[in-house]
Amino acid sequence: MIEVDNLHKTFQSKSGPVHAVRGVSFRAPDGQITGLLGPNGAGKTTTLRMLYTLMTPDKGSVRVDGLDAHRDATAARQRLGVLPDARSIYKRLTARENIEYFGRLHGLDKATIARRIETLAQTLGIDFLDRRAEGFSQGERTKTAIARALVHDPRNVILDEPTNGLDVMTTRSLREFLQRLRAEGRCVIFSSHIMQEVAALCDRIVVIAGGQVRAIGTPDELRATTGESDLENVFVRLTRSESES
Amino acid sequence: MRTVFIVARKELVDLFRDRRTVALSLLLMPILFPALILGAVGLAESKARTQLEKTLRLPVIGAEHAPNLIRFLRAQNIEAEPAPEDPDAEVRAQTFDAVLRISPDFADNWRSSRSAQVELIYDSSREDSRIPVARVRGAIEQYNRTLAVLRTMHRGMSPEVLQPVRIAQRDVATPESKRGMLLAFLPYLLILSSFLGGAYLVIDVTAGERERQSLEPLLATPASRSAIMSGKILAAIIFGMLSLSLILVGFKVSLAVAPGSLRIVNPSWQLLFQLLLVLLPMVLIGTTLLTLISASVKSVKEAQSYMTVLMLLPMVPTFLLMVNPIKNQLWQFTVPFLAQNQLILRLVRGETVSFEEWAVYIVTSLVLGLILWIAAARLYHQERLAISA
Ligand SMILES: Nc1ncnc2c1ncn2[C@@H]1O[C@H](COP(=O)(O)OP(=O)(O)O)[C@@H](O)[C@H]1O
Ligand SMILES: [Mg+2]
Repeated sequence: MIEVDNLHKTFQSKSGPVHAVRGVSFRAPDGQITGLLGPNGAGKTTTLRMLYTLMTPDKGSVRVDGLDAHRDATAARQRLGVLPDARSIYKRLTARENIEYFGRLHGLDKATIARRIETLAQTLGIDFLDRRAEGFSQGERTKTAIARALVHDPRNVILDEPTNGLDVMTTRSLREFLQRLRAEGRCVIFSSHIMQEVAALCDRIVVIAGGQVRAIGTPDELRATTGESDLENVFVRLTRSESES
Repeated sequence: MRTVFIVARKELVDLFRDRRTVALSLLLMPILFPALILGAVGLAESKARTQLEKTLRLPVIGAEHAPNLIRFLRAQNIEAEPAPEDPDAEVRAQTFDAVLRISPDFADNWRSSRSAQVELIYDSSREDSRIPVARVRGAIEQYNRTLAVLRTMHRGMSPEVLQPVRIAQRDVATPESKRGMLLAFLPYLLILSSFLGGAYLVIDVTAGERERQSLEPLLATPASRSAIMSGKILAAIIFGMLSLSLILVGFKVSLAVAPGSLRIVNPSWQLLFQLLLVLLPMVLIGTTLLTLISASVKSVKEAQSYMTVLMLLPMVPTFLLMVNPIKNQLWQFTVPFLAQNQLILRLVRGETVSFEEWAVYIVTSLVLGLILWIAAARLYHQERLAISA
């Protein structure tokens, strides 16, 4: 379970400070898929980076299974599987070696790693385990990166725009994979800028825009609050800046 | 600690898969450096040999005044030829190595057993005319002695009283001068290749990994950032030491198969080991410094732009020593580059390095390495390291 309370993050840039995240709060319970929905530049990646302890929030707190993510960063990271925005893998290593490396960094023993790789390869449909990653397609890279993120069997899974750049078939199998993670009782958070995708998959949707939470609820609840039946219109209504609405 | 080895192992496996880069950085130096040094020394030697053995063409003014001398010179493989108008200018313009002037009263003086005068015109500031000038001078002196012997015998005295001293021309290319040449290059090349030998790897595993955006997932694992960084540093040090060992072995092998007098400077295995010991802290300092730079810059390109400056650093002590030679003082073993320079020179010259000097050197350079390591680790803990925007 991941609890996020009143996160703030400001970046200093040449043209002045960028207040990327301004007071984001939500709860992502176990056994559910929570979708972080928002347009480009909404602050999704920045929020997720604070969740997986890569960035320290200026204000607010993150709790992973009840652990404070910044005081107990190492313990929190052990409970997190992370697919970051950039899913680059080591080109000169095989898919298996890429996954093994992360397994070792998580402190797993050889046998456990081998077992996990077999399981993950089967569920993700990885049939290129012993090929060098040089020249992998986007889908193959993403699958390898997901397997690498989940090698230590984490209770909580965070994926930043996992379907970016994937074809329909791969997207569909990824969707099935996330549902399987939910069925196993894990807490899954993923971000996207596509309403249909989030609606098809998520138990709860957190809509953010301009670094703020605009709405939280099930797809049906969001339809009801906006009074729109078309998902795209719901999304547009929710993310349009306050001044316009 | 386990993380350090896991990371180091992965980086080395990753690196060695890149065959071409490894072959270039690992084999090029051990072949190129000895070739450079031996080539320079060998070239000088073969030039000296041709200058010694080839027929020397010597412009002579007034050759008609001393036909015997000219004949004698020809026997010494020195061929007289007509002289130019303005010998001083021609020698200065390097048209000729030397010009001989025989004074018109040579024959008179010779006949009356007085000292007959010849004048050798040459430019002492020209390095490459040294050998021809020495040959001419040697030949004339020999002629001088032969004549003196004949004259003393003619007067019923023993030629022994003259005690002629023979000048050995072959001394021009002694082993000392070759060793000196080797010494001029060796410290800089060794220090440079230990300081920057692993540069490609160091820049690639920090700035490169950041640029390829694979640092973010790595830093999201429970492994500590200091341990990840240390693993990368360890991999670079192992690679640097391997490359250095190959360079040293390359030197030994090429000196062993080198022609002629170069073989005298064959270094022992013990010497090579001591050199490696001198250079190990240099590898540590270079690796940590480059890690520090790589962690602070935005791209690989920016990191590489520091390389030019870094390549000049090992030259600084050489320049300082040229301007202001220092006597043996303990403090010089605390100054990076200067310390290695002095230690290498002393080891190669076969001079002893005291325990105190070793201790001062090793401790201060390890402390410097540690300071750089801490500074680099601090940068690794900054949150902007993981994100390549
Ligand atoms: N490292 C950074 N430095 C400066 N500004 C940043 C940085 N990361 C993100 N931003 C800015 O913060 C805002 C939110 O970005 P991001 O979280 O990546 O949005 P999203 O993932 O929703 O597209 C953007 O305006 C972006 O330019
Ligand atoms: Mg993003």
